[in-house]
Amino acid sequence: MTKVRTLLVDDNRPFLILARHLLASFVEIEVIGEAYDGEQAVRLAEELKPNLIIMDLAMPNMGGLQATRLIKAQDAPPVIVIASHYDDAAHREFVAQVGAEGFINKRSYENDVIVIVRRLLKEITDA
Amino acid sequence: MPESRVLVIEADAARADNLRAILEFVDFRANVVEDASQIAIAEHRQQDWLAVLVGDTDLASLDEFIAWLRRDRRHPPLIVVQAKHELLMQRYDLDPSACLPLDMPVRYGQLSDHLKRASLLQMERDLGARPGSGPTGNSAVMRRVRKLIEQVAAFDTTVLVTGESGTGKEVVARAIHERSARREHPFVAVNCGAIPSELLESELFGHEKGAFTGAITARRGRFEMADGGTLFLDEIGDMPLSMQVKILRVLQERSFERVGANRSSHCDVRIIAATHRNLEDAIIKGTFREDLYYRLNVFPIETPPLRERAEDLPLLIDDLIRNQEQAGHGSVRLAPDAVNALRHYHWPGNVRELSNLIERLAVLHPHAVVDAASLPRRYCPDLPAGDAVTSFRDAAPAPIAADVTTAHAQPDPAASTTTLAVLPPEGLNLKDHIEAIELALIRQALASSGGVVAHAAKLLNTRRTTLVEKLRKYGLTRDDGEDGEAAVGAAVAF
Repeated sequence: MTKVRTLLVDDNRPFLILARHLLASFVEIEVIGEAYDGEQAVRLAEELKPNLIIMDLAMPNMGGLQATRLIKAQDAPPVIVIASHYDDAAHREFVAQVGAEGFINKRSYENDVIVIVRRLLKEITDA
Repeated sequence: MPESRVLVIEADAARADNLRAILEFVDFRANVVEDASQIAIAEHRQQDWLAVLVGDTDLASLDEFIAWLRRDRRHPPLIVVQAKHELLMQRYDLDPSACLPLDMPVRYGQLSDHLKRASLLQMERDLGARPGSGPTGNSAVMRRVRKLIEQVAAFDTTVLVTGESGTGKEVVARAIHERSARREHPFVAVNCGAIPSELLESELFGHEKGAFTGAITARRGRFEMADGGTLFLDEIGDMPLSMQVKILRVLQERSFERVGANRSSHCDVRIIAATHRNLEDAIIKGTFREDLYYRLNVFPIETPPLRERAEDLPLLIDDLIRNQEQAGHGSVRLAPDAVNALRHYHWPGNVRELSNLIERLAVLHPHAVVDAASLPRRYCPDLPAGDAVTSFRDAAPAPIAADVTTAHAQPDPAASTTTLAVLPPEGLNLKDHIEAIELALIRQALASSGGVVAHAAKLLNTRRTTLVEKLRKYGLTRDDGEDGEAAVGAAVAF
């Protein structure tokens, strides 16, 4: 079956370890790499060509918004979802402006992720 | 460049330790110095810190540091202990938004508010908006735009900026503000299309305490924040009709009500609106109010698409690279064949697309000369293809509908904790791993207690306050000023 090749980006390593385990139970998702800041994410997005990136906002060196802008400048860019614990109008406004496709709350991470992944897969089948 | 680091300047060792502990607890990195002379400013950029926290310290060395900090117009805010706040505000003639008071002993709510404000400022910088001198270019169309800006700036006339996405409508709006008598007052931008419509009213007009579920405290809206200055209503064409009526009223009467308020507030705000949509078409379709259109379209300015001013491209590229260098974000050069390829591109994303491309090249090829072959394929389709890149969305549809619709049972959260406790052959980082297990257990406890922290704390046999602290540490608190007891939000796409 088609799997959604996913890159995880977060500077909080315990969270990444947990995220990998939480996502491991969904057959639709294949985690193909991890990045710990935005700059690495830009490089890995070019190198690994994931279908989906799930990205934190505040990270050292380069944050999630800037990285999203730069990744969206690559050929056939991946779908990008921002995972944040700040959830208010101002944050959603910024995230929408840089071209990210979604915004999820870290607290309901795996449930939110799978909803988005299934929608993406459905888009492909409907295409 | 975003950074979760906070610079702490504090001579009192005990207080410095205390501040460091608090900051680290809420997942910020603290960089502590006794006085500002210990900061090697030659090795830093102003943007290296999210905020600068100032306590008791030697003022002479602080003078030099603050002077350096302020060389960057968008420097991180100072957070100053209450006892020193007035003094520093006056000594450095700081804007209240750039110098925030901090009570001692530290109150979590206040510090967290300040850091959130700093983070929003940083996000604004991160969006790539540059407070420059206005639109760049020598083409006739751009010279005309600059002339219009000069003509209208000095008056309080409402301006409507139209043009495709990425053509620099906000650059025009900022240039008008900078040249107006309101320049010392705030310029506040709102992207009406990017804010979920149910949040837009309270975002624009603010709300009173208790106006709706979750309105724990009263809050100022963007109209109030822009008082005395300019409010930039971007993507006004995406604003729901119900909000258009309210904007019309502000334009007519200069007054509005906070959500849940029963008295009107007066506001002194110049409005600049912008949209990439054709509002006349929208009026015919019934999605935009004609009366609002005429109120906004007092002085129209159209920003031309980049493809209609290809002659500006080399100048724009130089300008963008110079900005990049000045901000300390690295550098890059384009070979003549690359510039030539870019001249022939149709630029659907306009200057914003060019700016993102330059920034991206500076990250991927720092200080190198980039030739046409190293540009993303879409800029030079005639060159032999490098890696075959297929878009996810272009991928051949696989018969997976059944898999999608016969939804898998939600994963058993307990299983993930069990598998977390297996040592992989390559080894692991024990501290990170233990924290991941702790985090998994906390999330399970929250899930089975419906998100109520007090009940989850019982399941974990821990104090509620301890759990609240851990939630903050792991970034699991909702940003509602409470203990994160609100229900879990659903995934939302735009």
